[in-house]
Amino acid sequence: MQIASGGVSDVGRVRTNNEDCFRIVAPLQLFVLSDGMGGEAHGEVASAMAVETVTKHCLEGRENHAVPLFGEVQASLSDEAKRLASAVHLANKRIFEAAEGHLEQRGMGATLTAAWIDGTKLSIAHVGDSRAYLLRSGTLQQLTSDHSLVAEQVRRGIITAAEAEESQMQSVLIRALGAQPEVEVDVEEHTLFVRDILILCSDGLTRMVTEPEIAGTLQAETNPTKAAEKLVALANEYGGADNVTVIVIRLEPGSRKWFSWLRRGVRSKAASNGSGGGKLDG
Amino acid sequence: MAKLSLMFENKIVKEVPVGGRPIGIGRSPDNDLPVDNLAVSNYHARVYFEGGRLVVEDLDSLNGTFVNDLRVERATLHDGDSIHIGKHRIKVDATGDAPVPWDTGRKAAAPRINETMVLDTKARRDMLQQAAAMGERTQFAGGRLKVPTLIVLNGKTDQKEYALTNKLTVIGKSTMATVRLKGWFKPQMAAQINQRDDGFYIGPGDQVPAVNGSPIPGPTRLKDGDVIEVGGVRLNFIFRE
Repeated sequence: MQIASGGVSDVGRVRTNNEDCFRIVAPLQLFVLSDGMGGEAHGEVASAMAVETVTKHCLEGRENHAVPLFGEVQASLSDEAKRLASAVHLANKRIFEAAEGHLEQRGMGATLTAAWIDGTKLSIAHVGDSRAYLLRSGTLQQLTSDHSLVAEQVRRGIITAAEAEESQMQSVLIRALGAQPEVEVDVEEHTLFVRDILILCSDGLTRMVTEPEIAGTLQAETNPTKAAEKLVALANEYGGADNVTVIVIRLEPGSRKWFSWLRRGVRSKAASNGSGGGKLDG
Repeated sequence: MAKLSLMFENKIVKEVPVGGRPIGIGRSPDNDLPVDNLAVSNYHARVYFEGGRLVVEDLDSLNGTFVNDLRVERATLHDGDSIHIGKHRIKVDATGDAPVPWDTGRKAAAPRINETMVLDTKARRDMLQQAAAMGERTQFAGGRLKVPTLIVLNGKTDQKEYALTNKLTVIGKSTMATVRLKGWFKPQMAAQINQRDDGFYIGPGDQVPAVNGSPIPGPTRLKDGDVIEVGGVRLNFIFRE
């Protein structure tokens, strides 16, 4: 399987500063996205700190397995998932301490959604209301739960999903990095299949663009960076009320498989037949 | 100004306006609305404005406070609501001028929060409780957690039943599928079940699954007791106590 990825972050149409932050570490196939909060420029500080800490801890862990794991980490998880969870715990501690130490940074916090791909194994770590989705067989599957008050109310059956979308309390989070000295981190592992498309996004996308539109855009645009740009443009077209950040990750069939010569052969034949070189495996 | 009218057998016994101060309701005569009935606690409940909304709060009364026949610990009141305490009824009249404009429906009355904020553990618990008191659908109130489970009715799989604990459950022949199908010519990834906030949705994989005999048109929310057919197996989706 080959992985192609791209990401875009945009300030949106209403806000004056971008508190979102993301990083793609291609050699590790590590993808990290964070949405900061807190007055002045402190949201930017928090999200940058979150992305920086998570990336650094994962890189260090990959270099040297002896780097200790931080915080409460489930023993049953894979090494990558454990490291990712550890990194998010560490980021929480760093942001919390920074906020405690600097009076003007009090109340700053950040969401964090990170994906680490190792072969066909996907590890996801998540805190807050950014999201990870998987587009597979034409269906967009949400891989994370929003840690927002309204989502919690939906899970408890107090309000419906439709009421949650209308709610004015959408920005109230029940979990975020930097709010408390300890944080509960959601960690899950999944198996990836060829042609899966994974996206990480901040709430600036999901509050503006519907899921069918997200799925449609991902299916129509095969270049990951362009797909991310199109989704950001769509969020802005619909008002761009918040910063919007999108990372698109596509899992494509590897070309080094034993049957690749066969596919190439059929493809060139199809092309010479004037059928536009359509994909055999599409 | 909002007004409370104490009624007994459809006759108004007493009326009080609601202003800045909480209105005490109970058997003790020093309440703003004294209710002379043995079923009523001395200090039974109170009504007050909070954040522009009129709220009733039960004060740990023995026999409870009911709003429109629903027992509440705390609830937001609307014009025309009835509070029942013992055999008495208190009619809520909120058509007049409230101290803060609020007469625009439940949602608009909620504080508008643009900046993202985080609740601490206590605030979160309080807010959820408050929301539960206001909400109409409180299946969660029982507090017993139910485990969503797939039970294999027919067909070859690696287990007889599966608890759905992940956000995404894959049904297929793949060695990494949660529900592993056995046998020749089975699809690698026959179907998938996504856990969302409002329930479990089954979606197509390499095949289109059927729920209760009909092929699904797209991602479909599963109900307790649904029967799923895909890849030559039949699965029963239930919420296990």
